[in-house]
Amino acid sequence: MSCSLSAGKSIKLRLMRVLVVEDEKKTASFIRKALQAEGFAVDVCHNGDEAWAAARATPFDAIVLDIMLPGRDGLSLLRQLRERQNATPVLLLSARGEVNERVEGLNAGADDYLPKPFVIAELIARVRALGRRGSETKSPVLRVADLTLDTVTREARRGGVAIELTAREYRLLEFLMRSAGRICGRMAILEKVWDYDFDPGSNLVDVNVMRLREKIDAEFDSKLLHTVRGIGYVMKESP
Amino acid sequence: MSIRTRLTLWYAGIMFVSLVAMGILSYHAFGPEPQTSGHTFGDRPKPDESDESDLGEVFRIIFWCGVPAILLALGGGWWMMRRALAPVAALSRAAAGVNEHNLGERLPRTGNGDELDRLTEVFNAMTERLNQSFARIREFTLHASHELKTPLTVMHGELETALQDQALAAPQREQLESELDEVQRLAKIVDGLTLLTKADAGQIALARQPVRLDELLREACADAQSLARPHDIQVSVTACEELTVTGDRHRLRQLLLNLSDNAIKYNQRKGTVTLSLRRVAESAEVAITNTGPGIPAAILPRVFDPFFRADASHSQAVEGCGLGLSIARWIVSAHGGTIQIASQPNGLTTATVRLPLTAPSLPSGPPRH
Repeated sequence: MSCSLSAGKSIKLRLMRVLVVEDEKKTASFIRKALQAEGFAVDVCHNGDEAWAAARATPFDAIVLDIMLPGRDGLSLLRQLRERQNATPVLLLSARGEVNERVEGLNAGADDYLPKPFVIAELIARVRALGRRGSETKSPVLRVADLTLDTVTREARRGGVAIELTAREYRLLEFLMRSAGRICGRMAILEKVWDYDFDPGSNLVDVNVMRLREKIDAEFDSKLLHTVRGIGYVMKESP
Repeated sequence: MSIRTRLTLWYAGIMFVSLVAMGILSYHAFGPEPQTSGHTFGDRPKPDESDESDLGEVFRIIFWCGVPAILLALGGGWWMMRRALAPVAALSRAAAGVNEHNLGERLPRTGNGDELDRLTEVFNAMTERLNQSFARIREFTLHASHELKTPLTVMHGELETALQDQALAAPQREQLESELDEVQRLAKIVDGLTLLTKADAGQIALARQPVRLDELLREACADAQSLARPHDIQVSVTACEELTVTGDRHRLRQLLLNLSDNAIKYNQRKGTVTLSLRRVAESAEVAITNTGPGIPAAILPRVFDPFFRADASHSQAVEGCGLGLSIARWIVSAHGGTIQIASQPNGLTTATVRLPLTAPSLPSGPPRH
C-alpha cells in the first residue's frame, strides 16, 4: 500500500475516530483506505439505519455522511442526530452538487459539504479541519520556512524582503499558508479565496497560483509552493 | 380566407339563391292568376299592364323584405360563426403558446362532447404524451449524470491513491496524471450537464436579493485580468454605472466570469477585452467585447447550444467543457433578461446581457461589506 507524506505528522495527534457512511462499497472503501493512511481510525456503515445505531453507540470525532442512502437518508439522519443534541462534526457528501442542497445540508446541521466527484485530498483536509475546529491556534504571523505573512499588517516577506501582493493574492497566500503541509484542492481554494461555490470552468486558480509563485518562489532556490497535479497545490518546505 | 369568412359567404350565397327562388316561385304563384281571372272576366286589353304591375309589386316586396332579411341573416350568420369558431380560435392560441416548459398545462374543455370538445381532448392528450416524454428525457439525463458521478468519484479516488505511491516510475506517473486530468474534465462535463438538466426541469431555486452589478463587474474584471495575463491580453472596464438588479449573486458572478473567460479564450494574442455596464431604459446592459477572430453570422444562433463549437472539428485548442454559453443563457433567462452575441466584420465580437433593473427610483441596494 502507498505511504502518505503526512502520515507521520498526524500520528502525533490524538487518534481521530471517523465514521464513514456511504452505500457505494468502492467509494466507502477508498475513503476508508485514504483516511487510514492519514492515521485516522475509520468505521464504515453502508446504510442509514446502521449508521444511526453506530453514531449513538460511539462518540466519533467526525462523520463523513453521504446524502443518498438506503434506509434513512443522510439528511434525516443528520437532523435526528442534532435533535438528540449530538454535536459530532459532520461532512456531507452528495452526488447532487447543487447550491440548494448545500444550503439544505448546512441548515440540517452539517458542518461542511463536499460535492461528488470529490478530490480525496480535499476530503482528508476537510475531515482534519472538522476535528481541529476550535483548537486551531491563530497566530497573527504565519510562517513557512523563510516566508512570513503578517495577517494584521497584511505584509508578506521572504528572506526579509517585502513582497507586494494584490488583495486576491494575499487571500490565496493566507489560505495556502494556513493549510501549510496539506494539499489544497482547487475547489477548496475557489471556495475559500474566491467565495465561489461553483466551478467557473476556467483556470482562475492556476493562473493566480502561477503569479503568486513568480512573486514568492521565482528568485529562490528552495521552492515552497508545489503543484499536485490533477488535485491542487501545497505549501511546504521542499524535502 | 378564414373559415368564418368563407362560411359567411356561403351562407350569404345560399340566402341569395333561396331569395331568388322564392321570387321566381311567388311570381309563378301570383303572376298567372290574374291572367286566368282575366279570361274569366273577359278583361282582355289590360292583362299586360296588370302583369307588369304585378311583377313590379312582387319585386318590390322581394326587395323591401328580402334585403333586410339578407342583411339580418348575414349579421346573424357572422355572429353565429364567431360563436361556433371561438373554441377553435382559443385552441390555436393555446397551441401557439405551447413550449417545452408549459406542457403540463391543459386547455379547458366545454364537456358537451361536440367535435371541438373532442378536438380539445385529443390536443390535451397529445400535450400530455409530449409532457411525459420530455419528463422522461429530463429524468434520464438527471439519473445518467447522477449515475456517472459515482464511478467518476471512485476513479478519481483510486487514481489519487495510486499517485501517492512515491515509488512510482516517471512514465507510469505521467500516465496516471493524464488519466486524472481526463477524469476531471469528464467530471466538469457531468457537472455542467446536471446543472442544465436541473435548470431545465425548474429544480434550481435562485436567490432573489439586491445585487450590485457594478461591484460584480469590477470583480470579474480583476479575475479576467489574471486569466488574460498569460495571453498578453488587456482587460479593461470602459463604463461602470452604479446599478442594482435583483437576483442570485453567485450565479451572476458565474455569468460575468464565464463571458469574460470566453472573451479571453476566443481572442488573439495581444488582443483586448472591454467590459461595460450601462443603464439602457429599464435594464442594466453589460457588454463584453473582444478583438477575437469573430463568429460567422451563420453560426451565431447556435453558439448557445450545448457542446457547440464554432470549429466543427471539436478541437481541443481551446479548453472548456462546451457548456459555458448554455449555462450563461440559462442564468440570464432565469433573471428575466436577454443575452445576445454579435460580431462585426472587423472581428469585434460583443456579448450583450440585459437584466431588468429593480425599482430604479429607490436608492441602489443596501451597502455591502
